[in-house]
Amino acid sequence: MTVTATRASRTRTPEKAPLRERHPARFIILVLLLVLLLLIVAPLLVVAINAVKSPADYAANGPLALPHHLYFQGIVDFWNRVDFGLKLWNSFITSIVVAVLAVILSVFNAYALGIGRVKGRIWFLVFFLIANLLPQEVLVYPLYYLSKQLGLYDSLWSVIIIFTVIQSAFGTYLLTSVYTEFPKELLEAAAIDGAGKWRALWRVVVPVSRPTLAVLFTFFFIWTWNEFFLPLIFLISNDNQTVPVALGVLQGDRMMDATTTSASALIGIIPAMLFFLIFQRTLTRGIAAGAIK
Amino acid sequence: MTISRRGLLAGALGLTTAAALAACGDDDASSTEGADAKTLTLWHYEGPTSAMGIAWNKAIEIFKQKHPGVEVKFEEKSFEQIQQNAQMILNSDSAPDILEYNKGNATAGLLSKQGLLTDLSDEATKRGWDSKLSGSLQTTAKYDDDGIMGSGKFFGVPNYGEYVMVYYNKAMFDKYKIAVPTTLDEFTAAMDTFVKNKVTPLAVGGAEYPAQQIFYELALSKADRAFVDDYELYKNKVDFNGPVLSYGAQTFAEWVSKGYIAKDSAGIKAEDMGVAWEQGKFPILISGSWWYGRFAKEIKDFEWGTFLFPGNKLHPGSSGNLWVVPEKSKAKALAYDFIDITMSPEIQNLLGNNGGVPVVADPSAITDAKNKELIENFNKLTTGDGLAFYPDWPAPGYYDVMVAGVQGLINGSKTPQAFLDEIAKPYNENLADLGK
Repeated sequence: MTVTATRASRTRTPEKAPLRERHPARFIILVLLLVLLLLIVAPLLVVAINAVKSPADYAANGPLALPHHLYFQGIVDFWNRVDFGLKLWNSFITSIVVAVLAVILSVFNAYALGIGRVKGRIWFLVFFLIANLLPQEVLVYPLYYLSKQLGLYDSLWSVIIIFTVIQSAFGTYLLTSVYTEFPKELLEAAAIDGAGKWRALWRVVVPVSRPTLAVLFTFFFIWTWNEFFLPLIFLISNDNQTVPVALGVLQGDRMMDATTTSASALIGIIPAMLFFLIFQRTLTRGIAAGAIK
Repeated sequence: MTISRRGLLAGALGLTTAAALAACGDDDASSTEGADAKTLTLWHYEGPTSAMGIAWNKAIEIFKQKHPGVEVKFEEKSFEQIQQNAQMILNSDSAPDILEYNKGNATAGLLSKQGLLTDLSDEATKRGWDSKLSGSLQTTAKYDDDGIMGSGKFFGVPNYGEYVMVYYNKAMFDKYKIAVPTTLDEFTAAMDTFVKNKVTPLAVGGAEYPAQQIFYELALSKADRAFVDDYELYKNKVDFNGPVLSYGAQTFAEWVSKGYIAKDSAGIKAEDMGVAWEQGKFPILISGSWWYGRFAKEIKDFEWGTFLFPGNKLHPGSSGNLWVVPEKSKAKALAYDFIDITMSPEIQNLLGNNGGVPVVADPSAITDAKNKELIENFNKLTTGDGLAFYPDWPAPGYYDVMVAGVQGLINGSKTPQAFLDEIAKPYNENLADLGK
């Protein structure tokens, strides 16, 4: 034993020293990362555990125990109770239309403000920033009266229009600062080749900033998907409601139904997570690439 | 409770004027108005498996049989959505023809004041709803011109009631050979026995409504109807240092110091309190009838029972939420017919058989022994005029004042005197706002 031990220490010490130095630190970082991961995933896990637990099981063993058997009735019941397929479709249509329109609107605005250098553009930007910072509660009554006047109350269009404007206010703000850094050479080259402003926008500016636009698109989609307050107010009929509003059905006056609520939360976040996973690549690429190629 | 969750936004004034115009006229025509409508849009926010959900589904079926040409458009709404938006919805063309709505000054009272709800007084006398509802149940159905409950016109009709009682774990009572207490002294003696055996007797949720209801229950043990009228309906000034409320505060603090109520329960939510009791961690839970159906369904591991808070004539409780008919309803006559069906013995007994507390129940028609006990206790309360409403009703935002105050009593950061001073201030400010 001793022989092998001394021999081993003699032969391995020189090459193992740096490894051993790094090892504890790496280990600590790994543990820290795992703890952090657990902290982030824990609420999701609790939701997932309770989503597949029967109410009696929940009552007997509490929220943190593992389910005795898988119980999917909560999810099925909730799906049928609120006609969840329809809600998914409403949310999808609203989010996708808002994301597309808001990106287009942001591009137009930012082209004028960032590249076109419109007079007083700083004030425009301040205006957009303020519009962005306004709490939605302030907007409720004016928007309510406007939408009633236009016959858009209780219609998906009211929400689409409102969020297109809200999201594009942020988009304009962000894209403008990107476009002010836009390389002039490219624009000058385009102008020499005979491109007008319209052509330069579509043939030069948009293709070059496509990664940034993809990021905006993804954010707009997810933000709109998660919106609760304004849809709650503007989408009255059950046929028009979006996913987050439908989830609210389970929150009673005094009672809450923990297992069904978890079931609904689970199927409520899955679409947004899927969307994020699909577009994750564009997100990282967009951020890494920056605006200028 | 319902009042406290009111998220009503500022800017309501604009609606008042618009609605006042709409509210004028059409007194005589109201009983036949909309009788020829082809659809009845109906909203409520009770789960499909709750007692109300089951009973009202049946009521819709019966309504369809009686009105073959009428389509019933039922939508289950979220409590949150109705709570936040009722004003805006009822002032628009998207208003339903009939809906479930919260009772109370800040909800049904406010809407009635703004002219958004139909006066149901004529229908109530014609169809006999007023004689079916006992005095303390009518309190939350009637609102005066200022939207304050207790007198004036009928603006809603409740189908069910609710009251606070004592739930107890029979297995744990048997283990320590404790009989069901009939007086407050016996009750405290029972809790002493538990404390001696290192069991915390009361499951309490201090972060939400349950703790303040225990405080109110204790105060009510020294109160009479006149006190309740003063406190809830502003008949006379309330002395917060008088015998009733100071007894409630002091006894509550005593219960904490004697260990009946755990010090850490200040941060417990109602849901966690219920689950802890369901798991048999505490022998006693003082809370409302809204738990009843759930306990009956979910508790499999032990026997349990209920009794009214020993010695009290008055108990926290009230009518449940109301059926209201919006002023903009296009099928008012049909809505009245629907309300009438929900008040019929068939629907009322169905409510009772599913663990609800019907307002006009016939206990002999209730088959389940447990449900029968629940309803008999409620009938005992209503015939003795024993519903004393809830401690947080009198002023807007009072719920949070109560929660914070009682939390202070639980964790010992406030003396009973400081607690009483704290809750007196917003109460009296509200009185001043009302001009009383």
